[in-house]
Amino acid sequence: MQIQVHHRPSYALAEVLLDDGETVVAEGGAMVSQDTHVTLETSASGDKKGGLMKGLMKGLKRALAGESFFQNRFTANGAPGHVTFAPTFQGDIVVHEMSQAAVMLQSTAYLCGSPTIELDTKWGGAKTFFGGEGLVMLKATGTGLLAFNSFGAIKEIEVDGEFIVDTGHIVAFEEGLTFNVTKFGGGWKSFIFGGEGLVCSFSGKGKLWIQTRNSTAFGQLLGSKLPPREA
Amino acid sequence: MQHEIKNKPDFASLHVFLDKGEAVVTESGAMMGMSTSLKMETNMKGGLLGAAKRALGGESLFLNTYTAESDGQRLDVAPSTPGDIVHLPMSGTGGVMVQSGSYLCCTPGVTVDSKWGGAKSFFGGEGLFMLKCTGDGDLWISSYGAIHPIDVQGTYVVDTSHIVAFEESLTFNVRSVGGLKSLFFSSEGLVCEFTGTGRLWIQTRNAPALAGFIHPFRRVKTNN
Repeated sequence: MQIQVHHRPSYALAEVLLDDGETVVAEGGAMVSQDTHVTLETSASGDKKGGLMKGLMKGLKRALAGESFFQNRFTANGAPGHVTFAPTFQGDIVVHEMSQAAVMLQSTAYLCGSPTIELDTKWGGAKTFFGGEGLVMLKATGTGLLAFNSFGAIKEIEVDGEFIVDTGHIVAFEEGLTFNVTKFGGGWKSFIFGGEGLVCSFSGKGKLWIQTRNSTAFGQLLGSKLPPREA
Repeated sequence: MQHEIKNKPDFASLHVFLDKGEAVVTESGAMMGMSTSLKMETNMKGGLLGAAKRALGGESLFLNTYTAESDGQRLDVAPSTPGDIVHLPMSGTGGVMVQSGSYLCCTPGVTVDSKWGGAKSFFGGEGLFMLKCTGDGDLWISSYGAIHPIDVQGTYVVDTSHIVAFEESLTFNVRSVGGLKSLFFSSEGLVCEFTGTGRLWIQTRNAPALAGFIHPFRRVKTNN
C-alpha cells in the first residue's frame, strides 16, 4: 500500500494505491473517489477478528471519542486499485510510517491507515487529556501507514526536552513523550482574560505534530453568527 | 483575449484581458474588479424561459455580460468559495457537464443549458444540478478545495458532493455505495459511477461537510 498526498497544504487529498487484495481502513464519510473494483465493507471495528460483540464495543468507544462509530474497509478485488480520501477541514494530511512507538491522535485527526493498525480510545490518559474542550485522544498501535489530517497546515516538531502547546493545536504525538495538561502559566488572571485556554507541557523525546489553526475556535466564531438551531 | 489564473489553488482568481468587442459572461456577483471601458449588461441568456431554467439549476437567474468598448480592458473574476479555478477550452466537439455551483464564467460562444436529460435526477436530494456547456470558446469552472483531474478509462466512482465537472463522453449512474449495511452506517452518501473514456474533475473538499461541522456550534433556540 502506498499513500500519496496531493494539493498540500490547504486542500490535501490522500490517494491510496492498493495491490490486488490489499485493504485500507478509513474514517466514515472520507471517501472522495475510487476505482469500481474496490469494494466497501462497513464494520463496527477496524479489526475483522474478535466477533460481533467485541467489534461493537470498539465501535462504541470510538463513537465516544468523537470518531464515527463505524469504519469502512476498502479492498481492491481482482486488480490493483486506488481510492482517494479527504478530511472535512481545509488543511493538510501527513502520512506516518508506524513501527515501534504508538501515536496519540486527536480524535478528529484520523483519516485512514493500514488494517494492521489498531485504534484505541481506552488508554489511560484519554479522558483527562483535554479537560473541558470535548476532545479525546485515540491511541494508534501496530505497524503500517497511518494518515492523519489537520485544520490548517501541519508543523512537525522533534521534541527533546520540554515543549508547550495549546491543546486546541495538537494533532498527534509519539508515545515517547509524557504530557501534563495545565492552565497557561501566567496565573488565574491570564487564564481568564488572556484568551489562552489549556496548554499541554510535553517532556521527553519524540515527534509532535501541531496544526496552525484551531477548529474549535473557528466553529465558535461562525456558530455564534448563525441563527439559533433547534435543540 | 488572454487570461491568467492567480493564487491557485487556495484562493484562485481569474483575470481576463479583452480587446474591443470581446466579451465574457459571468455568474452574477462574480465580478471582483474591472477597467472602466467595459460595458456591463445583465441579461437573461436564452430569453426568459432559459433564465428560469437556469434558476431551477441552482444558478442565479441573471448572467452578466461584460463587453470591452476599447482595447486593453481587464476583468477580474472571483468565485464565492475558497478554492481553485480551471480553464476549459471548448472546441465545439464535445460538451462538458458542470455542477451548478462550479460554473464561473465563459465566452459568449459557449451555451449553458440546465434542461438536458440528466440534469434533475443527478444529485438525488442534494439540491444540486448539472449544467450542460457546449459550443466554442472558453469556460472557467471553480471549486471548494483544489480541483483534481482524473482521466477515466473504463469505470470510476466519485462521491456526488465532490463532482465539479465531467466530459459528455462519460455516461453515469447515481447509486448508493456498498451493501445495505454500508448504506446506513458508512456515512458515505450517494456516489456516481462513470463509464467510458473522458476527463473528470473532482474537488478535494465539500461544503456540506463543513456546514455539518459548524452546525453544533450554533446557539440553541430557547422557548421564551
